[in-house]
Amino acid sequence: MNKLSVAALMLLPALLASCNAVRSTGAAGYRNAAGVFSTPREVAGKITRPVRQDARLAVLWIGHATVLLQLDDRFILTDPNLTPTVGLFSKRLVEPGIDPANLPLLDVVLVSHLHVDHLSYGSLDLLEKRMKQLFVPEGGLVYIPNYDFDADELKSWETWESEGLRVTAVPVLHNGWRYGLDDAWMKRSFTGYVIEYKGMTVYFGGDTAYDSTLFKETGKRFPRIDLAMLPLAPINPREYSKARHTDPREALQIYRDLGARWIVPIHYDTYPESLDSLGEATATLRAGMAEQKLTGNEVVILEIGEQRVLIPKRDGFSAGE
Amino acid sequence: MISLSCCFAATTHSGEDTVRVKPHASEPDIHPTVLWFAAQAVPSPQWTAVAHDGLRFGMRWQATPLLYSFGINRKLSPWRWFIVEPFVRQSGSVEVFCSPEYVNLEDQYGSRWAFRAGLRGYIPFWQHGEYLSGSLGSSYFMLGDTRGVSYEAGVYFFAGIVGMQTTYSPSLSEAPWTFTLRLRYF
Repeated sequence: MNKLSVAALMLLPALLASCNAVRSTGAAGYRNAAGVFSTPREVAGKITRPVRQDARLAVLWIGHATVLLQLDDRFILTDPNLTPTVGLFSKRLVEPGIDPANLPLLDVVLVSHLHVDHLSYGSLDLLEKRMKQLFVPEGGLVYIPNYDFDADELKSWETWESEGLRVTAVPVLHNGWRYGLDDAWMKRSFTGYVIEYKGMTVYFGGDTAYDSTLFKETGKRFPRIDLAMLPLAPINPREYSKARHTDPREALQIYRDLGARWIVPIHYDTYPESLDSLGEATATLRAGMAEQKLTGNEVVILEIGEQRVLIPKRDGFSAGE
Repeated sequence: MISLSCCFAATTHSGEDTVRVKPHASEPDIHPTVLWFAAQAVPSPQWTAVAHDGLRFGMRWQATPLLYSFGINRKLSPWRWFIVEPFVRQSGSVEVFCSPEYVNLEDQYGSRWAFRAGLRGYIPFWQHGEYLSGSLGSSYFMLGDTRGVSYEAGVYFFAGIVGMQTTYSPSLSEAPWTFTLRLRYF
C-alpha cells in the first residue's frame, strides 16, 4: 500500500472501514462499515470520582488506548481520545468511559505516536486546563499545537523525573507518520513508556507489533513491572497488521517478555478495528489465556469505563478489589 | 534528525525543577521524496466562468517557495520551503505561493496558460485546521498580455488535502471568477 493511500486511509478511517467492507466477503467488514452510522453505546454508571483514596495503583480504561492511571497521588493519562470520532468520520462504538470534566488534574499525559486515534487534538483541547505536561515520542512535537501545558519529546530510554514520578520512553515497533508521506522522515516517532512512582512500575505499550528483543530488553531494564497495558487489535488482516500490531496472543507474549505482574488489554472494541469483529479480540485473548494457563488474576480485562484497584493502600500486593 | 536542546524547565507541583534528563524538541528531517514529487504533479481542477460562454475547465498546480507557520509548536522552526506538512500549513500560516495554470482562455486573452504568484494566509477553524480551515490571499497573474491582481478565498478539509478556492480577477473582465477544487498533499 503506498503512502498516499495510507494517508487517505489514516485521515478517513470511516472510508477504511467502508472500503474494507466492500473488499471483504466477511460479515465483520460490513458490520464495521455500518458502525459508522450507528450511535456509540452508552457506558452505564460512569465513574464520576475517579480519584481513589483506597488505591496505590488504580487503572481506569476510558477506551481505545486511553487509560487513567493513579499511582498514589499522581495521575497519568495515556493517548487521550475523548472525542466522538477520529479522523472526522470514524465514530466510536462505545462512548468514552468517563466524562472529561470528571478527570483529575493530570500530572502527565503520554502520547505514544501520532496517528489520529492516539494524538487527538480535540481531546487535548478538552484537557488543556487540567494537565501539566505532555510527552510525545522523538520527532513528535512537530504535530503538537501550542497549548498552555508544556510539551516535550522523549527519545527511547530517556527518563524524565519530577518529584519522584519517572517517565521513561521505551522502544516499540510501529510507525511514526501522521499523514503518510511523512513516514520518509518520521522514522522514530513512536514509543512505549514506563512510569515509575514510589516503587510501582507501569508499562504502556501504545500501539506496537511484536519484537521479542525490544520487550525482553525493557523487561531486563525494568525488572519489577507491576502492570503492562498492551494493545490487542487490529488483528485482521493478519498479513498486513502483523508488522504494525500485536494480536492478543502476541500481547500475552509481550506480557511474559516484560515479566509484568498484571496485564490490562487495551486498543480494541472502541472503534472499528479494520476487519475485526466486536468481541474477537477478547475471545482470542481468552483462548490464549487458556493455552498459557493464565487467569483473571493476571489478565485484567476491563470494560470501558471500569476502574480496578490493583494495589490497594491497605495491602501492598493484593490483586483486585 | 537535528536535535535541539530546548530551554526546558519542568515545573512541578511546588514549582521546583527536578528534571533528570532534559527532553528534546527535534526538527523534522524533511526532504523531498519520489512520492512528494508525484503529489506535487497532481493538478487541481478548476472552472473559469466566461461571460456568455459558461464554464471553462482548467487546471492549477501549486508550489510553496516559503511558508511561515504560526500554528506549529513554538519550540520548532516555523519556516518551511516547498515541503510543508499538512498540520504546519493548516494550523495557521502565511505562504508565498506560485501557480502555473492551464486556463483555456486563448480566444479571450491569447493564451491557454497563466502564471500567478502571491501571498496566502491560512486560518484554522476546527481541530487546529486538520478538519477544517480557511484561507484568504491575493496574487499577481500573467495571462497572455494581460496582467493583474487576483483576490481569493478558500476552505479546506481533511488536513488541507481537499478544498475549494474562489479566485476573483477584476482585470479579466470576460472571465473574472475561477472556482478551484484544491487538491494538495504536502
